Amino acid sequence: MGEEILEFLIVGFVLGGIYALFAVGLTLIFGVLDIVNVAHGEFLAIGGYTIYIAMIVFGLPAALGLVLAMATVFALGLVVYPLLIAPLQKRLGRRAPGPLFLVLTLGLSALLQNSLLAAAGGEYLKVPPAITGGLDLSFTYVSGQRLLILAVSSIGLGALFFFLRFHRQGMAIRAVAQNPAAAQSVGIPLGRIFTLTIGLSCGLAGLAGGLIAPLFSVYPAVGFTLTIKAFAITILGGMGNVFGALIASFIIATVEALSVLVIPSEWQNAIAFATMILVLLVRPSGLFGKKQL
Amino acid sequence: MTRLMAVATLCAAALATPLVWSHPFALHIATQALIWALFAASWDLLSGYTGQVSFGHAGFFSIGAYTAAISAKLYGISSWIGMGAAFLLCATVGLGVGFPALRLRGHYLALVTLGFGEIVLLIAQNWGGLTGGPFGMHDYGTFTGLPRDLLAQRQAAYVVVSAIALAGLAVLLYVTRRTSVGPAFRAIREDQILAASLGIDTTFYKLVAFTLSAGFAGLAGALYAYYIQLVSPTVGAATQSALVIGMAVFGGIGTIWGPFLGAILLFSVIEGLRFIGVVYNLIAVGAVMVVFVIFVPRGLAGIRLRR
Repeated sequence: MGEEILEFLIVGFVLGGIYALFAVGLTLIFGVLDIVNVAHGEFLAIGGYTIYIAMIVFGLPAALGLVLAMATVFALGLVVYPLLIAPLQKRLGRRAPGPLFLVLTLGLSALLQNSLLAAAGGEYLKVPPAITGGLDLSFTYVSGQRLLILAVSSIGLGALFFFLRFHRQGMAIRAVAQNPAAAQSVGIPLGRIFTLTIGLSCGLAGLAGGLIAPLFSVYPAVGFTLTIKAFAITILGGMGNVFGALIASFIIATVEALSVLVIPSEWQNAIAFATMILVLLVRPSGLFGKKQL
Repeated sequence: MTRLMAVATLCAAALATPLVWSHPFALHIATQALIWALFAASWDLLSGYTGQVSFGHAGFFSIGAYTAAISAKLYGISSWIGMGAAFLLCATVGLGVGFPALRLRGHYLALVTLGFGEIVLLIAQNWGGLTGGPFGMHDYGTFTGLPRDLLAQRQAAYVVVSAIALAGLAVLLYVTRRTSVGPAFRAIREDQILAASLGIDTTFYKLVAFTLSAGFAGLAGALYAYYIQLVSPTVGAATQSALVIGMAVFGGIGTIWGPFLGAILLFSVIEGLRFIGVVYNLIAVGAVMVVFVIFVPRGLAGIRLRR
């Protein structure tokens, strides 16, 4: 039993790395722009397709594929603000947006997901693992891909934290999250920060998509369940709270992995949803409070 | 007044067309479009009119559909009672969801309802004994007492569905336009705190919105179940919720009749595009949502009003 628990803990921890890459971006967008990006999962799927094209179609090495996945989705994310969000903001002016941004990203999600379906078909595309082999712990075996996921997601998240804490642009992002009007008055260009924030967040989602491609295969709706789980994570960690999202990712992932020991696996997905509803009812601000970058 | 008469005549003519030109395909599309229209109007009551955004409305639709299917299949209950049961059960569930959701606004409410929809989907998939599992339920019959002849049955089903959908629309319009409930809903949408400080019992009215909206979504689900005669978990998928929101945005949220018409139009377009490819019609829905939200936020209803 003890070894079994340890085995599932490892599985959960690896999954937590993916959840974190994904959910931190989601919460960053919410913290800075006050927008819930329902289409976040589709950016993850695009990352998966990019690595598939790079590795299978062009025969590039996996490392280059990962970089390309991140870069492509980063570039795509950069156009989201100027193309979609800025026009709606401009049209709204000072009026309350209500559900409009939610509907906008929901529409973007439907648009992207079905475009992928039209372009690539609905098959589950297999992507070979970036590294073969693995780590043989006497009671279980951890594949190299899972170790890679842990390493790359730690590096990615570490880089993001350093960027937000010490880089000029990163500090500007935090300033905008705290108070957009004040940030603007000291000369921070809001539009550019919004563009960069969405680009960065989507880039992380693309990286996550490239990393899990060998584990989950690639298909158009690969990101959608993850999006809803990431909502649960961001709520548990406090919406807009990057550090909270990181911790909450590992909490949800390990609970999910361990739950297999107790409840049938087809109910596993219900854990995230139930957690989300429970947290919102009991403590809507999440475990760590709102908005901290 | 003459304009009202003209509009009424036009609507009546449009409604009668599928009966006069009784092509099975046209009837099929028209019947489904009306079911979606009632569904979209129910979403609009809660989300457009009262401003409490639901991302899981397909959950109510699904519960209504399963109520109809289960009551007919396992207990042999007449569809007329089944529809009432679906309405009442969904209204109760709506009240149950509305209660905890009272504390939440905007994004948070949207996410909780999204979670609610996913949980309904999981239950439909995994509670095989009651719901038939992933394959769903079939062979429980259509509306009770319809003729056996296939075309006549379709025509009768169309009349039943359109009568109920229009009655639903009339009730929703009456509630929002002719009673004191409507202005209270609008006040909550515009500014909840101001509404409360003016003495509007926001808790009560939000629960009314939840209950009514869920009830009519469930009724639409029951109509779907009796008409299509197949209910599977995908009826409650998040894409269905997205589709109904797309229809409402297309028609113009916050007007009740806008989403009703928008659903009919968009559904017809989607089914028309089916000849090109099933995928493209869903791309079109996404594109409609994005373009309309940015450039025509008041939907088709708004275009007419500006004139």
